[in-house]
Amino acid sequence: MFGLTTLAANKIPLGNMLFIIISFLVLMVILKRVAYEPVTKVLDERADKISADIDDAEAARQEAEKLALQRQSELTVTRQQATKVVADAKASAQKQSDSLIATASDRATLINQQAQTDAQKLKEDAIFNAKNDVAALSVAIASKLMQKELSLNDQQALIDAYISDLETK
Amino acid sequence: MDEPTAPFEFLGLTFDWGTILSTLLAMAIVVIVSVVLTRNLKLKPGKRQNMIEYLLDFTNGVVNGQLPKKQARQFGLYAFTLFFFIVVSNEIGLLLQLQGGNGVTYIKSPTATPIVPMTLAIMSLVVAHGMGVQKLGLKGYLNNMLLTPYTWMLPLNIIEQLANFLTLSLRLFSNIFAGEMVLTLVAKSLAWPGHFNGFWSVLALPIEMVWQGFSLFIGGIQAYVFVILTGVFIAQLSGEE
Repeated sequence: MFGLTTLAANKIPLGNMLFIIISFLVLMVILKRVAYEPVTKVLDERADKISADIDDAEAARQEAEKLALQRQSELTVTRQQATKVVADAKASAQKQSDSLIATASDRATLINQQAQTDAQKLKEDAIFNAKNDVAALSVAIASKLMQKELSLNDQQALIDAYISDLETK
Repeated sequence: MDEPTAPFEFLGLTFDWGTILSTLLAMAIVVIVSVVLTRNLKLKPGKRQNMIEYLLDFTNGVVNGQLPKKQARQFGLYAFTLFFFIVVSNEIGLLLQLQGGNGVTYIKSPTATPIVPMTLAIMSLVVAHGMGVQKLGLKGYLNNMLLTPYTWMLPLNIIEQLANFLTLSLRLFSNIFAGEMVLTLVAKSLAWPGHFNGFWSVLALPIEMVWQGFSLFIGGIQAYVFVILTGVFIAQLSGEE
């Protein structure tokens, strides 16, 4: 057994120890370049990325919540507005129709009155004309029939009496 | 127990081919695996990237559980390298043991040779003491290490520091060494070529399989324990418990 026998023989294998130490240091440098630093860098990068991703996700979630809330409130407002618009439209339509009906009804009444007035007037005119015509006609007929001169005043009284007799019939 | 070795002298220092080759092989495997696993890193990981990320997460978890953030960041790379290297070292010997014609084992678990765990323990303790000095200042560090909780505990504290070195290194070494020793013993005594023993030789296969599985588990646990204990020492020597 090399180590212990040489140790016992006061021949410390310094060369071996030096060789091991130096080669271990070289190994450490190589591993640092090849594995330790790159892998540590990747691990750190990944840790950073994960924490950044978590933060981003949290921010995105809050943003989405905010948007949802906003949308909800906007929806409520819009719904209220829509209700109001429909109500307004209904009211305005009602008002318009009412005014139309009122106008039409006024107009109809007016036309009716006009018609009645016209009819009354026509009737009165007709009666008046007829009175005059009948008076003149009666005078002509009477003067012809009786060949007798008559005073117009006497005749007028007679005709009035005759016509009022006609009207009562 | 006394196996032949292949030592050689260079610049007045003693080297040993078995330890050097095994260590180099383990390190080569560590580098190749990490290069393969970290090709084409992406924010969204694939299978290979997941494996290396899991490994790094694991050692970072060990470190972060014991040390404040600043020290954990400093210690992270060392813990990662240490764990990766020790795991690979522990498991190499289970797959591969190459013996030369002269009886020297050139390739086995580096951690099954006492010098490797001892060196690693020395490095870990140097790191721990260094971080202690950095955190508390030299005076505070000495006070914390030697005179806490009571001044009269100075001798005990000195012994504790020495014991730290031995427990750290010998725990790793003995676990891996014993694991490989049992594997070799089972193979040699039950199924060595030329010593075919009927039933016993056939029995060797399941025993080896079970023991290899167990050793695989032990190898992982010991690497974990080594890193954890290093963290504990750092925390202790930085005055946090």
